[in-house]
Amino acid sequence: MFAAFLGCMLSEHMSLRLVSHDVWIVGIALQVLLAAVMLAKRTWQTYPMFTAYVFFNLFGAAIGYAVFGNKVVYFYTYFACESIGIVLGLGVVREIFTNVFSPHPALRKLATIIFRVAVVALIVLAGGVIYAQSGNAKSIIHAVLLAEEAARIVEVGLIMFLFLSSSAFGLHWRQNVFGMALGLGMFAAVNLVAVTLIGHVSSTTAQAFNLAHEVSFSTSLLIWLGYMLAPERATTAVEVPKRAQLEQWNQAVMELISR
Amino acid sequence: MITVIVIALALCAVVLFYTAVRSRRKQAAQSFRPVDLNAFRTLMDRDDELFMKEKLPHSKFTRLKRQRIRVTVRYVARIASNASAVLHIGETARLSPTPEVASTATQVMELAAQIRLQCLVALAKLSLEYAMPSLQLTPALLVPKYQSLRENVRRLGDLQTQTPIPLATAI
Repeated sequence: MFAAFLGCMLSEHMSLRLVSHDVWIVGIALQVLLAAVMLAKRTWQTYPMFTAYVFFNLFGAAIGYAVFGNKVVYFYTYFACESIGIVLGLGVVREIFTNVFSPHPALRKLATIIFRVAVVALIVLAGGVIYAQSGNAKSIIHAVLLAEEAARIVEVGLIMFLFLSSSAFGLHWRQNVFGMALGLGMFAAVNLVAVTLIGHVSSTTAQAFNLAHEVSFSTSLLIWLGYMLAPERATTAVEVPKRAQLEQWNQAVMELISR
Repeated sequence: MITVIVIALALCAVVLFYTAVRSRRKQAAQSFRPVDLNAFRTLMDRDDELFMKEKLPHSKFTRLKRQRIRVTVRYVARIASNASAVLHIGETARLSPTPEVASTATQVMELAAQIRLQCLVALAKLSLEYAMPSLQLTPALLVPKYQSLRENVRRLGDLQTQTPIPLATAI
């Protein structure tokens, strides 16, 4: 939808604009496919927020497609859908956090504290960005992009936190959850670069960013599709350890911390 | 300036996601690695360290202690990796149809998670000692938890040998 939004605003460089538009249409088709897969797999039972996020994006794309001819209506539709989409995206991050840490109460308490600190730090950073760049936001389009940049900072930062903390705690992600975080993270990171730089570059480069953004969204959709369709990896017999080995390293840690 | 920070954040995120995908592939082939307990004991011996501190010149002691810390870090990392593997396997055992196995697996996972945390603490302490070799940090206070883990692991092992589940010998 972002591509079409900028496409409306930037009238030059028709070829890039047309390619972006085509990629946007491919994205809508992929969203329909993803929605069908999620319906078949009944994902709303396990991942209600992610399901809502995907279906809302599809709804937004359909509405956007319907009102694409009217720039003013399209702009307000884009703004409303993007705002709700970002809120739902943050909800998905929260859902992933719960899913990753819920089997580990020992880690959950600490992770929740760090998560809250990260939220505050990212909000401060996002606030700093708004404060520093608010002078440049001379039009409503720039103001919208600035707000989106701030929200994406929080989203990307929280997804980074999820990956870093789960790596530090040595947690294994379920296949679907990993795919959800990876797709959302990739999309949010590319979107962050696009909305940050779009105001500082020429019209041609802006169209190129626009295209990159749209391609990244389609890539995220493919990631989600791939991880939704891939079967969960089972623990193989090779991975099964011997009890004596467990005893060995357990004792080693005890001695290290007791010395 | 703030634009540079934001772009750097986004690029770091992309690198992190790429690393996560790669390490996930490695994790799939993760297996338990043994720990040479005798060698580890020697490395952790504070008396040995004190003896070296008294007998060796300061610069030589510093170099030697840092070498010992580097090796110790590798041991701790191996233990942390093993704890992570227990968490992974425990998730499967937690879904066992035998309630007692499932409940014990949950307890083992809880304690393995605490060991993982403790490894992070140990690594932080070792990093500080590496930066300041004259430091000797106080021990952590979670020893009873490890004792409990040992008991639970033993109990889970006993329970699983009574049930014909492939995971019976897992933990």
